Amino acid sequence: MTLIFLRTAIIFITLLLIMRLMGKSQIGEMQPFEFVITLLIAELACIPMADTSIPLLYGIVAIVAIFILHQIVWLLDLWILPFKNVICGKPSIVINKDGIDEFQLKKNNLDVSDLIESMRTSGYFNLDDVYYGLYEANGTFSALEKQEKTYTLPVTIIEQGKMIDNNLDICKIERDAVNKLLKEQNATLRKVLVMTVDGNGRVYFQQKGKPYKILHIKLGYSW
Amino acid sequence: MVKSVIYTVVAIILSLSFFIFSHIYVKKQFEELETSVTVLYNKTENKEANREDAYAVRNAWDKNKESLHIFVPHNDISYVDYWLNEACSLIYTGNYDLALAKLEVLKWISKTLPKGYSLSLENIF
Repeated sequence: MTLIFLRTAIIFITLLLIMRLMGKSQIGEMQPFEFVITLLIAELACIPMADTSIPLLYGIVAIVAIFILHQIVWLLDLWILPFKNVICGKPSIVINKDGIDEFQLKKNNLDVSDLIESMRTSGYFNLDDVYYGLYEANGTFSALEKQEKTYTLPVTIIEQGKMIDNNLDICKIERDAVNKLLKEQNATLRKVLVMTVDGNGRVYFQQKGKPYKILHIKLGYSW
Repeated sequence: MVKSVIYTVVAIILSLSFFIFSHIYVKKQFEELETSVTVLYNKTENKEANREDAYAVRNAWDKNKESLHIFVPHNDISYVDYWLNEACSLIYTGNYDLALAKLEVLKWISKTLPKGYSLSLENIF
């Protein structure tokens, strides 16, 4: 039985570590250790239930082990702040006054499209609709919104140094027009972190490691 | 908060007590089996074992295994059952040489099986 307890503890710690390493994109709306527990409990309950060759006690001991570990992590979380940071992680500010913080995104195993998706889910369709945007430790996106939001739907034209040709066609923007804009900004395609265009030709343009700019581009039509 | 701490401490104490109890209990049951099998082995070696001796070992094991099913995987118990029944039937037919081989295996199983549940590095990983 001690063996089962120890084996459960080892799996618990390994899963917790892996979930922390995977970053916020994998967690959903739970703390990492809660997510690990959710993953484990279902299996632990199922195996002895379905496999009659294993005593039911093995499942019960493992579940009790999970309960004890949960309580210990929870209590350490409350009492020791550095431990909370290690186990649950810290919020990451991914949008600041300079625009997107690429380093913070990478640190959490996220990319620009993940960020745009999270923003849309939270009701912000433009990258400059918020002063600050951050991923909480449980993976949810929070933002300090600007009072004046832009009510248009932006389309991503360049993302992490790559032109999205399909979106160029949707917006009816010539590739040359984008190249001209890049030239005006003294930028090469590879150095662009993100460029979005909305229906009024308003461009959100940010180079890697530089603050964002709001520019304008002539469109074939508006949407 | 206080309630949670109490629950945790109680759960830890109960678990530890249960681990110690189950460890001692399983070890004791297999030690008993090993002792009775050794006696039967010695009798078989001297060609003195009879049906009653073999059945006495089997009945004792049958009684012990009922509670052992709670702590030990059922496959391990049926493994002991298999070798013990083979040994019993060979003693019954007077085939002592073959019965000795089966009892030797049984002795080894009753010695090594509890080690599979004990706390050791190879068992954990």
